[in-house]
Amino acid sequence: MNAVIARITLRQLLSRRRTLLLVALSAVVVLVAILRRLSPSGADAKFTADLLSTLGIATLMPLVALIFGTGAIGAELEEGTAVYILAKPIRRWVVVATKLVIAVGCSIALTSLPILVAGIMAGGDGSGRLAIGFAVASAIGSALYCAIFVALSLVTSRAFIWGLGYVLVWEGFLAGLFTGTRTLSVREHTLAFAQALANPAANVFKADLPLGTAVVVAAVVAVVAVTIALRRLARIEIAGEIV
Amino acid sequence: MNVATGPSATAASLEARPPAPVELSGVSRWYGNVVAVNEVSFRLEPGVTGLLGPNGAGKSTLLHLIAGLLAPSAGSVTISGRSAFGDPGVYREIGLVPERETVYSFLTGREFLEANAKLQGLPDPASAAQRAIAEVELTDAQDRPLGGYSKGMRQRAKVAAAFVHDPRILLLDEPFNGMDPRQRLHTMGFLRRLAEEGRTILFSSHILEEVERVADRVLVVIAGRLAASGDFRAIRRLMTDRPHTFTLRSSNDRRLAAQLVGEPFVTGVTLEDGLLVARAADFGAFSRAVAARAREADVTLYEVLPTDESLESVFSYLVRG
Repeated sequence: MNAVIARITLRQLLSRRRTLLLVALSAVVVLVAILRRLSPSGADAKFTADLLSTLGIATLMPLVALIFGTGAIGAELEEGTAVYILAKPIRRWVVVATKLVIAVGCSIALTSLPILVAGIMAGGDGSGRLAIGFAVASAIGSALYCAIFVALSLVTSRAFIWGLGYVLVWEGFLAGLFTGTRTLSVREHTLAFAQALANPAANVFKADLPLGTAVVVAAVVAVVAVTIALRRLARIEIAGEIV
Repeated sequence: MNVATGPSATAASLEARPPAPVELSGVSRWYGNVVAVNEVSFRLEPGVTGLLGPNGAGKSTLLHLIAGLLAPSAGSVTISGRSAFGDPGVYREIGLVPERETVYSFLTGREFLEANAKLQGLPDPASAAQRAIAEVELTDAQDRPLGGYSKGMRQRAKVAAAFVHDPRILLLDEPFNGMDPRQRLHTMGFLRRLAEEGRTILFSSHILEEVERVADRVLVVIAGRLAASGDFRAIRRLMTDRPHTFTLRSSNDRRLAAQLVGEPFVTGVTLEDGLLVARAADFGAFSRAVAARAREADVTLYEVLPTDESLESVFSYLVRG
C-alpha cells in the first residue's frame, strides 16, 4: 500500500459526479426498507431477503463496483494522470494493490453498509443475522467484482462497457436461462455466501449455486483477475503521439 | 544528410564509451504496421538538447521511450546504462513533463508537488515542494486547486513536479505550451541554469525560436527517423548543397559586390533596396574571405549577417529534404 496513491485514488473516485448517483442508489435501498417497515404490512424476513438480494446484491453491488473498479486505474490511464504515478520509483504491484484496496473499500462503504442498515431497518425474524450475512457476503462480492473490473480496465479502454455487459447480459440474462453460466457469476457466488452466512437465522431464500462451487470459483477468479492486473500494469505502456 | 547518426556505425561506436545519461541504440518502435520511430541512435550528454520535428514525426514517442513509458520494438534505450523500460528505479534519475495537460484537478498546487515529492520518497517532501513551487513562481497560487489554474500555470506546476526530486535528467514534452512570454523566458532561464549545473535536458517543441534560445544541440526527427543531430548552426553549414545567404553593409556595397562575385564559392550577389545580399556555397570560406576582399577593395565592412542561420531555416530545409 502506498498512502499517497491511496489518498489520490480516494479523492479521485469520490470527486466524480457519478459517485453522488451511487450514494443516492444506496439511499434508495435503505429508504425502501424503512418504507416497508412503516407500511401496514410491517416487517417480514422474506421481504428483507428479497430486498437485499435483488436491490442490494443484484443491482447496487455490481454498479458500485463497476464504477469504482474501472475508475481506480482505468480512468487515470484514459485521462493521462496515471503518468504521475507510473513514472515514479514505485513497484507496479504496489500501485495495483493500493488502487484495488481503495476501490474495494469504497465499494464496501457504498454497498455493504447500506445493505446492513437496510437489513436491520426492514426487520423480520432473524433480520439481524440476515443483514450481517448479506453485508459480509456483499463485501466479498464487492472485492471480487473490483478485482475483475480493475483487471478489465487494464486490458481494454472500454472496461466500463464490457463490465456493464457482463453484469447485464451474463449475470442478468444468460444466468437466468442457462444454469451453467451461473458458475461464473459473481452475483451467484455472493448469494451463495449470503445463504451460508444468513440462512441459519432465517430460512427465507435459497441460492442457486452450491457454496463449495462458489468458494472455489470465486477464489480462482480472484487470483486470475489480480494476476492479470499485476502483469498488465507491470508491462503497460503509455504512448506518445502516433504517426 | 551526413550529420544524422547512422544506426549501425553509431551502435558500434557507442559500445566502447562509458554509459551516457541517455543512450538510444538502433531504437525502433512500431504500432502494428505504423512505424513511429525508425532505427534511431544517439546519446545525450549534460546540457540542453531540443527535439524538433513536424507533428506526428515521433517526438513524443521518442520521449516516452526514453522515459521508460514505452518499450522499444527493437534496439535499446538506457538511462545511465540501465534499461529505461520496466525498471521503476530509473525514475529517481528522470523528471518528466508529459505533453497531455491533464493533472489532478482536485489537488492544490502544493498538494500536487508534495504528492510528487512523497512518491519519489524524498525525506522532506514539504520543503522540496516549496522549493519547486518558488522556482516556477507559483507561490501565490499554491493553495488553489489545479483545476482552477490557467494552462500556463498548469504547465509550470508540471515542470515543478518534474524536478521536485532534483533529477539528473529532465524530459519535457512541449513544456512552454500555454505559457505567456514572461513565463517562457523565466522557464527557459531556469532550464538553462539546470543544464549549467550538469543536468541532461531534452525538450520537444514546435516553436523553433524556443529551441534556438535554450538548446545547445538539436535532434531533428522526421517521419520517425533522426534526420540530423548536433549544433544546429553546424548542421546548417554541412548542408553544402544549399547556398548560404548573407546580408552585408559596407562603405561601398557596389564595389564590394564586384569583388565578391569573382570568388568561386560565391554563387550570386544582388543589390536590393540598398542592401547587398551574397549567396555562398561554402559558409566557412565566405566568412574567411569576405574581410580580405573588402580590404582589397578598400571598402569598410559595417555588418556581415548570415540570414538563413536560424533554426527555422535549418528545420524547413531538413523537412523539405
